[in-house]
Amino acid sequence: MATLLKLIPHLFAWFGIVLIMLRGFSGRRSSVMLAGMIGFVIGVTGTFILFRSYPGSVTFGVVKSVLGMSFILLWGCSVVAIYRSTDRAKVMSWGKRLIKTPSTAIIASCLAGVGAGAVCTCRLSAATTDGVAMASVLLLLAAGAVAYIALAFEKRMPEAFKVSPAGMLAIVTALLLFSASSILRLDLFSPLSMKVMKGVHDFVHQFMESILIPDHLFVRSYIWKTIGLLFSKEVGFWGGMVIWFTPAILIVLAIQFERLPAVAHIRQGAQRRRVLVDAIRARRYRALIPVFALLLLAAATYQSCFPSVEYWDPKPLPVTAGSSGEIIIPKKGEINLEDGKLHKYIFRQGVKEARFFVLMTPAGELTVDLDACAICKPDGYGQAEGSVICYYCKTLIPLETVGKPGGCNPVPIPFTENGDSVVVDGLTLINSWSATVQATARVKEGGK
Amino acid sequence: MAELIIETTNLTRNYGDICALKPLDLQVPEGEWLTVMGHSGSGKSTLMNLVGGLDRPSAGSLQVGGKDLLAFTEDGLARFRREFVGIIFQQHHLVPYLTAVENVMLAQYFHSVPDEAEARSSLERVGLGHRLKNRPGELSGGEQQRVCIARAIINSPKLLLGDEPTGNLDQKSTLMVMELLKELRAEEKFTVIMVTHNQEVAAWGDRTIYLNDGMLVREESRLKVAEV
Repeated sequence: MATLLKLIPHLFAWFGIVLIMLRGFSGRRSSVMLAGMIGFVIGVTGTFILFRSYPGSVTFGVVKSVLGMSFILLWGCSVVAIYRSTDRAKVMSWGKRLIKTPSTAIIASCLAGVGAGAVCTCRLSAATTDGVAMASVLLLLAAGAVAYIALAFEKRMPEAFKVSPAGMLAIVTALLLFSASSILRLDLFSPLSMKVMKGVHDFVHQFMESILIPDHLFVRSYIWKTIGLLFSKEVGFWGGMVIWFTPAILIVLAIQFERLPAVAHIRQGAQRRRVLVDAIRARRYRALIPVFALLLLAAATYQSCFPSVEYWDPKPLPVTAGSSGEIIIPKKGEINLEDGKLHKYIFRQGVKEARFFVLMTPAGELTVDLDACAICKPDGYGQAEGSVICYYCKTLIPLETVGKPGGCNPVPIPFTENGDSVVVDGLTLINSWSATVQATARVKEGGK
Repeated sequence: MAELIIETTNLTRNYGDICALKPLDLQVPEGEWLTVMGHSGSGKSTLMNLVGGLDRPSAGSLQVGGKDLLAFTEDGLARFRREFVGIIFQQHHLVPYLTAVENVMLAQYFHSVPDEAEARSSLERVGLGHRLKNRPGELSGGEQQRVCIARAIINSPKLLLGDEPTGNLDQKSTLMVMELLKELRAEEKFTVIMVTHNQEVAAWGDRTIYLNDGMLVREESRLKVAEV
């Protein structure tokens, strides 16, 4: 029941999608409804089968890719829309004709349904592992009812409320992204901001390697002080924001730049003004949709930055090494290391300290890792929905890959299993922490 | 036979116990100039208010331009007034701190969008091309009434209502205003309904109806008046 309650925001998104599709493809109510529902069923069953056949990370990856592609499509359409508004694109009238065909309405509704259904099934799967099949059936029934309500609602909406094709794509994509942003492993904004941050870093390194950045004693400190700004976390965030919001803003601008109808031939002044004001009003109504899409994207960003998910993040327990320098942690006792949860520890040796955690992966293997990665500041990890998340860069690491080195994965530490306990060498731990994590932290903070 | 622009059946308006307009059946063909005469309190202004969508009847039916005014919501009535009706009042009701052209543009604003060039040309049509930037206080009574006419016709109404438009004017200004209305009506083809006490003004119309104590008591066509 609690799981079904979690579906409410997603069903609201589905309601919005159906409503907008019905209005966007006006005059094709039955085909849009049917195609949308078929798409939703395909999305739910397809994702369900994927979850059954492959590890969860693969399914989440597939759904996330679909969402990513819809965002890329939105980008493309927004660029086309702004180009069309310049009135230089007379040859692109085929696009207008294509949008008006019944097959476009059916395909678009079906795809939107697939996306919405897939996201809903991901929510079910992320929230619970039991009774997903039953919940999926209930979800389909609820989606059908929601679509029917949307149909009834759309019939009562004022005729003047029209949706442009680009606006329709913007709002449908925004609804899907908003819906997905509440599921950690489907969230697109965090990986996007990470990509931006990484892109900026790579760009700077490329310049360095090409010796395009002057490296003279007199200017070095000034240049690195400036370049250091590019290595801050905000660069990724604001860069991501620009990429995230630009398409919807372009669509709003494209609608605002639309030419008003020619009225010079209308002799009667009042009629001329009426035609103009009707066109201006219709343009305003059309612009409301992408503006609303902007609000949804902002909400998605907020959910991404401040997820409502409660992370499993236990307070690190202090551990000590024995006379042989080994840290011995019992597998069972007060804490059960094999419960699939993250168990954090802190080891102090003189003034030095190292944080690490022990986790049993879904494959049933124990892994010991530093509570930090080799890239980011050592803000540590939390666990939620089949993954651990790096608190610094918000990258999600599937539980299946924890224990493997590279990227933002926690740095693995060699250990041995001795019957009922896990044994970690204290010196190795401290050295590993000092060598990688503290060095990384200095780099990030110093900007060099 | 021209189509009817106004058609009332048993049109009634009560204010509490007072019956301002007793059941009235009236037909006005499109393009006609109808004059309404009667003593004070005879129901002339009540009729004008009902026909212009400024008030709602207590009973009966009222069709204006083929539309049932009783079926309109407040918003619908407002739209009807701004798109279908032009009104000229005896007291002008011009905004005192706006110039003549701005007063005309105000009507455009409530209709759709202001267009200064069109407002200027409208004032030029009524012979006030040289008074565009004057405020109402700087204009004579006749000139103010001509601004009212420009304001009333700027949105090309199908129905022009005049509630004693010449009541405050001298004979010369009255003549000027009436000639102007006749000329504009010939050009724009709108229907005129005008309330007046003045028999000479009434003679400009095609037909005159007389109200007394809220009842239609007499009706004369122009030809008949001429015979009289």
